[in-house]
Amino acid sequence: MRKYETFFIMDPDLPEEMNNAADEKIKGVVASQGGTVLTYEPWGKNKLAYPIKKRTRGLYVLMAYSGESALVAELERIMRLDERILKFITVKLEDRFDPAKEEKAPPEEKPASGEEESGEEAGAESSEEEEKPAGFAEEADQEEKIG
Amino acid sequence: MAFKRRRRTFHRRKVCRFCVDGELKIDYKDSKTLRYFVTDRGKIVPRRISGNCAKHQRKLTLAIKRARQIALLPYTAIQSV
Repeated sequence: MRKYETFFIMDPDLPEEMNNAADEKIKGVVASQGGTVLTYEPWGKNKLAYPIKKRTRGLYVLMAYSGESALVAELERIMRLDERILKFITVKLEDRFDPAKEEKAPPEEKPASGEEESGEEAGAESSEEEEKPAGFAEEADQEEKIG
Repeated sequence: MAFKRRRRTFHRRKVCRFCVDGELKIDYKDSKTLRYFVTDRGKIVPRRISGNCAKHQRKLTLAIKRARQIALLPYTAIQSV
């Protein structure tokens, strides 16, 4: 057993029941191939960095699951055929996944913590940028005085 | 002698942010963090500018490329339609 996660973009303009139907379909595929869905969380509608299939917005969904490699192949095949799914990416999280171990240790780590840190970084970066040109400007002034 | 360089070089030792801050993880889904390592044209910032260590730069590059695949980051600056 391996642990994978698939991050995919769904059509944002669909009515809710269509979305739910797509959710169920995808979960059903994982289950039918002998895998288990560990988490299934919609990330909400976000703007895309570039248009995909003429759409500039997309509904992001993150799904983590365990299963064999054949499951991934089948899931990707079905996603490719499905019109509601614009794009997807599958990443292998763990090579050897033990379901029993997972239950003991509850899954932690949410992307929310990253946001605060990145905010601090923004400050650090901008100050660095500001300092450099200031330094150059001073030097230029000195040269002028000498001349 | 004539070519003696008078320009002072700035020796600000850059440190790898991911080494300093253990909390900061490289994740392709975390586009807010990744954006600091991408120029406004969407290019990956080189190591000599960002100050990352080689190990983290490799991981960061992979994460940025994955984020591009899933449209969290642009491949290039957005073209006017």
